[in-house]
Amino acid sequence: MSIAAVGGLAGRMAEIVGERHVLADPAELSTYECDGLTGYRVRPALVVLPGSTEEVAAVVKAARAAGAPIVPRGAGTGLSGGALPVEGAVVVALSRMKRILEIDLENGWMRVEPGVINLDVSKAIGARGFYYAPDPSSQSVCTIGGNVAENSGGAHCLKYGFTVHHVRGARVVLADGSVVDLGGPVLDAPGYDLLGVVVGSEGLLGIVTEVVLRILRKPEATRTFFATFPSTDEAGAAVSAIIASGIVPAAIEMMDRLAIAAAKAATGLDWPDVGAALLMDADGPASEVELTSENAIELARKAGAIEIRRPRDEAERQLMWKGRKSAFAAVGRISPNYFVQDGVIPRSEIARVLREIGEMAARAGLRVANVFHAGDGNLHPLVLYDAALPGQEKAAEELGGDILRLCVRYGGSITGEHGVGSDKAPYMAVMFSEDDLDTMGLVRCAFDPELALNPGKVFPTPRLCGDKPGPFRPHPEEAAGRIWRE
Amino acid sequence: MSAGPYRPPRAEDAVLGKMPGAVAEPASIEEAAAVVAETSRDGKSLLFAGGGTDLEVGGAPEALDVLLSTRRLDRVAEHAPSDQIAVVEAGVPLAVLAQVLAARGQRLALDPPLPERATVGGVIAANAFGPRRARYGTARDLLIGVTLVRADGRLARGGGKVVKNVAGFDMPRLMTGSLGTLGLIATATFRLHPLPEASATLSVAGLAPGMLRALLGRIRDAQLEPDSVVAFRTGGGRFDLAVRFEGFRPSVAAQRDRLARLCGEASLGIEALDEAAARALWERHDEARRAGTVRVKVAALPSALDSVERGVFAPLADALGDAACVWYPTLGIGFAGGSPRDAASVAAAAAALPSARRTLAESGGSLVLLAAPEAVRTAVDPWGDAPSAVSLMRAVKLRLDPGRRLAPGRFVAGI
Ligand SMILES: Cc1cc2nc3c(=O)[nH]c(=O)nc-3n(C[C@H](O)[C@H](O)[C@H](O)COP(=O)(O)OP(=O)(O)OC[C@H]3O[C@@H](n4cnc5c(N)ncnc54)[C@H](O)[C@@H]3O)c2cc1C
Repeated sequence: MSIAAVGGLAGRMAEIVGERHVLADPAELSTYECDGLTGYRVRPALVVLPGSTEEVAAVVKAARAAGAPIVPRGAGTGLSGGALPVEGAVVVALSRMKRILEIDLENGWMRVEPGVINLDVSKAIGARGFYYAPDPSSQSVCTIGGNVAENSGGAHCLKYGFTVHHVRGARVVLADGSVVDLGGPVLDAPGYDLLGVVVGSEGLLGIVTEVVLRILRKPEATRTFFATFPSTDEAGAAVSAIIASGIVPAAIEMMDRLAIAAAKAATGLDWPDVGAALLMDADGPASEVELTSENAIELARKAGAIEIRRPRDEAERQLMWKGRKSAFAAVGRISPNYFVQDGVIPRSEIARVLREIGEMAARAGLRVANVFHAGDGNLHPLVLYDAALPGQEKAAEELGGDILRLCVRYGGSITGEHGVGSDKAPYMAVMFSEDDLDTMGLVRCAFDPELALNPGKVFPTPRLCGDKPGPFRPHPEEAAGRIWRE
Repeated sequence: MSAGPYRPPRAEDAVLGKMPGAVAEPASIEEAAAVVAETSRDGKSLLFAGGGTDLEVGGAPEALDVLLSTRRLDRVAEHAPSDQIAVVEAGVPLAVLAQVLAARGQRLALDPPLPERATVGGVIAANAFGPRRARYGTARDLLIGVTLVRADGRLARGGGKVVKNVAGFDMPRLMTGSLGTLGLIATATFRLHPLPEASATLSVAGLAPGMLRALLGRIRDAQLEPDSVVAFRTGGGRFDLAVRFEGFRPSVAAQRDRLARLCGEASLGIEALDEAAARALWERHDEARRAGTVRVKVAALPSALDSVERGVFAPLADALGDAACVWYPTLGIGFAGGSPRDAASVAAAAAALPSARRTLAESGGSLVLLAAPEAVRTAVDPWGDAPSAVSLMRAVKLRLDPGRRLAPGRFVAGI
């Protein structure tokens, strides 16, 4: 876009959202050049911060009229470059839309704007004994809109499911600026489950401007334990044994030696120097968690646990979880640079795959720290490197890619929760066939035939949509006005 | 049309009075894909059928050249107990799958009526569910991967074999509830659960809607976690509530006793059922869900039972002479069914449905006709008013089935 065109569009946007909420100054734009994947940066043409669904719709129409691509953005904590701008893009940042609109405890839902921070949802209802289940580690900063777009998970998704299981409805601004309601507080609205498709669509299918969340009564009791093991082999076996026994832990997280060391350095926890550790939560009725927690401990012991620690009180429990949740960032203390990888393998293969990753790392002359959601096989290998050493960054990137291929080879996925974004678009072709991708492309074409929303993400090679499909075979019912044609 | 998997249609192949031109019974996914590709080349219309338990749902097919039966797509391709997943071909009946999984102590937590006939593919396509939805959700929540045969005959996969997976658009969810209008569900990969060690069913009789709501509030406040919660309508607008706990023995017993105490405190009579009585009750549930030649599904907020009773259940029961009504109080979903005895009662039902639908729609709910005789169908649209996203739904349909050959006219708004 030419400077004049950008200026004209900025003026048009200012009419819609107010001058204060249009950013065009290079210094202001720089904050929006990247998301949590900081290695890639592109300066957008404009950043617009609308305050309502109507404003989002008008902003989308104005951007489209100017031929500018649109990149939705929440808090920018995404780790796959999903909110990475493209050249000439208008970034639509939803951070001003952070009102909680409605709470209905009896029927178990609330309606919020997309800019509401994940943790603020639970805070709003916590005193009354309710909470919102999905708990990404970034929950104190990431937005519900971003969670919906990424179908975010968290440690407790093993028992409770992901964002998609906790979203009942959404108001969505489509690529042409029209507004649709998908689902709602009442279940089973007739029609295709387009809500299920929009969740996890990474900003490619529409901009979510309101979300109806499912909220739950807090469980009666939670029991937590921390178990140490000589190596990830025994820890992996413990996870398998616990799940095989019929126990559904609320969460079961694994850390390897490097991750434990990093978490210790960051939090001052007195965790021992061991090969692996598990942190498990059981929650539910008190009668159940007493039993499942003790049984799980027994199984962990049988699998080779060295030591079991039970938190004495809630404060100590929170500290254990803090250790786990800070492990990502803590890795910064033991390595100048690192990549966070996100892949999934069948749970029963954890030990084997971790060993293979270790061997691959050794061959590449790199270290990998592992801290991850063991219960559902969602690995988060942290590839450590030093950008100051020539060739290391590239080697680390290659290792990250090889780990994804390994996940696919084991029947898993290239992403369990961080999304494909721009980072992993090339790997989609590793996991899916051309026809698989083409079919997803058809869905995208139905929502956004001009591919104006968040281009460059998810698809390795975007399918061009062509004209609206046809020819349409006329039908007698059509004449009667009972059926339609587009 | 080539020979291959085709056979001439028989009387029982008719769908809502329409005879298919031919019936295809492919024995493999590849053969199924070949059939679909052939119809695509010839511009023929298709209808996919599994066990035939929900073929009456939606509008009558506008055209029906080929009925593709998934009957012979009957392999449980994979069961990985340690990963708690199974890969299953579309034509496997739920009861058969249950047997295979139970041998390794697991189950698919989907329990719609008629498991002997209902097939995996059909259950997904109709998003059919039973009482365990209260805890486990529907196929939408348990389906983690799908292979579909597109309208053009190409095979496409979505999702995968691991429970946690956000790579690409969620094709499994798009297929769930799409009633065969977007493609053939050829194989499905499910998340499984362990078979519970114990189960306990309790029943509280004769609750008025307000009492039922209050009791549910108490159950929630006591943080009990039932696996199924179902209310059966009895005469006079009262409901018998059934609650089932499943899981490890001590916890099932503790929750059962706790519920009994809660009811005691509220001066409600509660009965803990023995195994035979519990089995009979859940069979009664399945029968009620299938009762009658006119059957509807209603959705409202759970708190709206009072208005559902006055605006939907009572008038339908009046119109039909009698109706079996089941309400899932934690979900806000109900089913009502009955058989009109004469033309007057058909007319009464046809008149009651639109007003019941209006009552529900006023608070964001819906009424869908699941089965009805011709006379009711012509008077009442099976789906009701077009949803807000109807043009988007049409666009999705036309992108995936540009010739509009898959079950034309069956889905919402004539899709
Ligand atoms: C330290 C750390 C820990 C993390 N831990 C987890 C974890 O445990 N589990 C997990 O799943 N993720 C985790 N993440 C990743 C990230 O926090 C999530 O993906 C989160 O959902 C992103 O939310 P956001 O508001 O920051 O969205 P952004 O990063 O701003 O955007 C993410 C994507 O959503 C789109 N988008 C944003 N808002 C909207 C909207 N309203 N409508 C349509 N599209 C929209 C964007 O275009 C982009 O594609 C972590 C990140 C960090 C930095």
